[in-house]
Amino acid sequence: MIAYIARRALFALFVVAAVVTGVFALMNAVGDPAAATLGPSAGPEQLADFNKKHGLDQPLAQQFLAYLGVVRCVRPSSPRWHTDPGQRGYCGLLQGDLGESFGHQEPVGNVILTRLPRTLLLGVLALGFELLLGITFGVLAARFRNTWLDTTIMGTAFLGISLPTYVTGPIFLLVLAFWYGWFPVGGYGVDPLDHVYHALLPAFTLAIFGAATYARVMRSEMIETLRSDYIRTARAKGLSTRTVTWQHAARNALLPIVTLMGLSMTILVAGAIITETIFAWPGMGSLAIQSIYNLDAPTVMGVVLVFSVTVQAGNLLADIAVAALDPRVRLGS
Amino acid sequence: MRLIQKTNARALPAWLCVSLLMGLAGCDKRPRGPRYEGAGNPKPRDGGTFVFHHESNVRTLDPHLAYDELSNMAIRLLYDGLLDYDEQSNLIPSLAETMPTVSEDGKTFRFRLRRGVRFHPMPGLPKGRELIAEDIRWSLEHLLSGDVASPGFPFFRSIKGAEAFHSGNEKHIRGIRVLDRYTIEFTLSEADQTFLNSMAMTFAYPVPKENYARRGDQVGQYPVGTGPYMFQRWERGVQIEFVRNPRYFAARPGPNRMVYLENVQRYVASLRFQNGGLDAIHRYTPAHRRLYKTARRWKPHRKEFAEAVIYGLVMNCELPPFDNVHVRRAVAFALDRKGWAKARGDAFLPTGQFLPPSIAGHVPRLENRQRFDLARAKREMREAGFARGLRKEIVLWVGEGDSGRFYGELVQNDLAKIGIRVRVRQVSFAVYLEETAKPKTVQAFMSGWAKDFPDAASFFDPVFHSRSIRSRNSQNRSFYRNSQLDALLDAARIEQSPSRRAKLYQQASRIVTGDAPWAFVYNPLSMHVWQPYVRGYGPHPVWDKDYRSAWLDLPRRRVAHMLTGRRFAKSMASLFPFGPLMSKRFAEGRFTQRRRPAREGTMRLR
Repeated sequence: MIAYIARRALFALFVVAAVVTGVFALMNAVGDPAAATLGPSAGPEQLADFNKKHGLDQPLAQQFLAYLGVVRCVRPSSPRWHTDPGQRGYCGLLQGDLGESFGHQEPVGNVILTRLPRTLLLGVLALGFELLLGITFGVLAARFRNTWLDTTIMGTAFLGISLPTYVTGPIFLLVLAFWYGWFPVGGYGVDPLDHVYHALLPAFTLAIFGAATYARVMRSEMIETLRSDYIRTARAKGLSTRTVTWQHAARNALLPIVTLMGLSMTILVAGAIITETIFAWPGMGSLAIQSIYNLDAPTVMGVVLVFSVTVQAGNLLADIAVAALDPRVRLGS
Repeated sequence: MRLIQKTNARALPAWLCVSLLMGLAGCDKRPRGPRYEGAGNPKPRDGGTFVFHHESNVRTLDPHLAYDELSNMAIRLLYDGLLDYDEQSNLIPSLAETMPTVSEDGKTFRFRLRRGVRFHPMPGLPKGRELIAEDIRWSLEHLLSGDVASPGFPFFRSIKGAEAFHSGNEKHIRGIRVLDRYTIEFTLSEADQTFLNSMAMTFAYPVPKENYARRGDQVGQYPVGTGPYMFQRWERGVQIEFVRNPRYFAARPGPNRMVYLENVQRYVASLRFQNGGLDAIHRYTPAHRRLYKTARRWKPHRKEFAEAVIYGLVMNCELPPFDNVHVRRAVAFALDRKGWAKARGDAFLPTGQFLPPSIAGHVPRLENRQRFDLARAKREMREAGFARGLRKEIVLWVGEGDSGRFYGELVQNDLAKIGIRVRVRQVSFAVYLEETAKPKTVQAFMSGWAKDFPDAASFFDPVFHSRSIRSRNSQNRSFYRNSQLDALLDAARIEQSPSRRAKLYQQASRIVTGDAPWAFVYNPLSMHVWQPYVRGYGPHPVWDKDYRSAWLDLPRRRVAHMLTGRRFAKSMASLFPFGPLMSKRFAEGRFTQRRRPAREGTMRLR
C-alpha cells in the first residue's frame, strides 16, 4: 500500500511538473505581459521598467529555473532579491514562493489564499449536491425501475449530462434568481451565511453533471445489487423493502461512487472556471480566467498548480478509499 | 423494437422537462420596468450604499499611472483636480479658487488654490492635512519624473523644463513656481491651447507625498486624495469600497458608501440591475439594451448619447496593399456603414470623418466624407491597378469577443464586393494591443479612439501625427505620415483663437478623410440606465460615468413583484396555441403594480 502511494505520488509529481512546464511555455509564447498589464498607453520606459521589475528581461530558461527555485532569483520585486548576485536568494516553487501577480501586485500565494476558500466552499457544496441528488435519485430509479419515475429520472439525468454549465448557469440565473428571486443574482455576499446563500445556485449548477452521472451509475449498480443472493436472503428474512434497499443494497452499490468522486475533482475544477465566471463568484476559477485574459503568468501558473495538485490528490485519495472500503481491491498488486 | 417503443412512450415526462426548461428560457415575461422606485424625498439626502460595476478589472488607483476608463471611474471619487468640467464640457475651477490668470503670450498660467481643502486621513496623519501649492508642484514633478514613467507625461511636456526633468538632467521643473502657500505658476515653452485641458486630466490630480513615501510601489492600492469619497478596501478583481469624506470642501448630500464591483459579466450585471442589486448600469447585452431602450418605464431613467469616440478600420500605410492610397480609399468607400448600423440594432451613428460631432473641428457636411459608394470604390481599385481585385487575401485583426468577430465578418462581406478577400484573425486583447502597435506587422485591424479631453488635439495628435509613431507601442498605429498634416496640427495646438483652431482642424479632417489611413465607420451610442431612486445622476459629457453627484432617494419601494406560480402558469400558457393571447398582458409588461410596505434599501452589499 505504502509503495503504491509513493509510486502514485511520484507519478502525480511528474504530471504536475509537466503541467507547470507546459503552462509556463504557453504563457510565454503569446503576447507581452507588460503591455497587457499596463495598457495601450504605456510608454517604452514603463514597459521596460515592468519587465525589469518582474525579471521578464532575463532569458526564458533562466526565468523558468528561477520560478522553480533552482537558480537564484531574477525578480527585483522579490524580498529575496539583492543587487549583489552573491547575496541574492532563491524565490521559486521549491521555496514556497509562487511569484508576484502582475495584476494584483501582491504575492500569488496571498491571492490564492484569499480565493481558494471560496472555491472550496463552492466545491464542497457542489459535491454535497452531487451525492445527495445522485445517490437518492439513482436508488429511486433502481427501486422503481422501468416505471415512469425511472424514465423521468434517467431522462433528466441524460439532460443533466448533455447540458453544459454555460447553458444551465444562465437559465438558472434567469429563472431562479431573476424571475423568482429565490437566490441572489451572482456575487459573493458579505458574511459567512450570506456566502453560503450566494454559493447555493452556482454550486447546484456545478453539481448537475456530477449528480446526473452518479444517478446513472448508482442505478445500474443498484439494479445489479438488488439481484444478488444476499438481497434475496435479506428479503427472505422478512426485512422491509426500505431496509433492504437503503441498508443492504445502497451501501454496497456505493463503491463505484467513491471512485467517481475522485474523478469528479477534474470536473469540479474545470466547471468552477465557467460557473464562477457566470455567477461572478470571486474564486479560483474566475481568477484563472481574469489572469489568462491579462496574461498574468505567475497567477495563471499558481492557479494551475493548485488545480493540478487537487486533481492528482483527488484521484489518489479515491484509489486509497476504494482499497480501504473493498477488501477485494489490493493496491499495487 | 418493443423496448424502444416503450422507452419512447415513457420518456414523455422527461421530454416535458426539456420543454419546460426551454420554455423557461424562451418565454421572458419579466417586468419590463424598474422593480423599485424612490421614496419621493424632495431634497437630496444622505445615506445608503451606491453600487456600480464594470465588466473588467481596475488596474490601479494611482492617478499618475491610471489611463483607462475603469480606473478613472474610481479615481473620480477619490481625487480632485485644479480644474474640472461642467455639464457643458466647459472648464471650471475645482481645487483652484478661480480660473487661472493667463499671460498675454499664452505661456504663463497662475493658479490660486482654494483654502481649507484637506487630504483624506492617512497613516501618521489621522485627520489628513491641508492641500497647499507645494503639493501641486510635488505631484506634477512626481508625475513627470522619468522613474515613474507615467503615460501622462506627453500631456505636460510643454511645461518649460519638463523634458529635461523627465530625462533626469534637472532636479526640478523650471516651468513650475510656487509663489506662496496657495499660489502656483506654470510657464510653458510654447503656447499650448490644450494645457488647461491637461491640467483637468486625472493625471494632474494632486496627491500627498507622505503617502507615496510610505507606500512606495503599493500606492496604487492605498490611494489618498482630496475627493468626496475615501478609500476603504479593495479586493482586486472583485470590488472596491469607498466611504464618504466628511471633510470634503464641496460637501453635498450623497450615499454614505460606494461599492464598485469588478468583473461582472454583462448578462449578470443586467439581471442584477433589474433586481435592484446595482444602482446604475452602462454595460449590458444587446437584448437588455433593447429592453431599456423600448420599455416606457425605463425612459425617465436612461440617457442615450453619441460618445466622443471614433471606430473604424485601420490600414497600415507601410504595408502593401495599403501603402497605395487608392486601395485605402476603395476600402473606405466599400464599407456599408448604414447596413452595419442596422445589423447592430442601431447601436451607433455611422460617420465618414475622424472627429465625433461633439468635438470642435467636426464638419457637419464634409464634402469629401467617406461613405458607402460601391461604384466609387471600384473606380479607386481600378486606379490602384487592381481592377480585378487583389490576388492575395488581406488579414484583418480583430479583438476578442463576439463584436470583434461580427465586425470582421461585415468587413469580409463588404470588401468581397470590390475583389478583396479578407481573412479575419481574432486574437486576445493583449496580443492585439502589442502587435498592432508594431511597425510593419499588422496589415489591417478594427480599432477605436476615445478622447483624453474634449479637444480635437486629443484625437489628431496621438492618432495621426508622425511624432506618435514609435518602434514599439506606437500610438499612431496606421503608421501614416504627412508633413502637411503635422504642420497643421502643430499650428492648431498653439493657435489661441477658437474659431481659427476649429478651421485648422477642419482642414486636417479633410486631409485624413481623403488619405484614408482609417476607414471611419461609426461613433458609438452609449446608454446609461439608473434606478428610479438614484437621483442627481446623469452621464457626464467628459467623465462619462461620474457618480460623485448621485444621491439615493431612500427608502426605496418595491413596485413590481417577482414571478409567482400563477404568473408562471400564464407565461407557460404562452407556449401553447392561443397562449400568447392569454398572456398578452404580461408580454406587454403591464406587470402588477401592487405595493409592498416601504423598506430601507441601504447597505445592499452583494
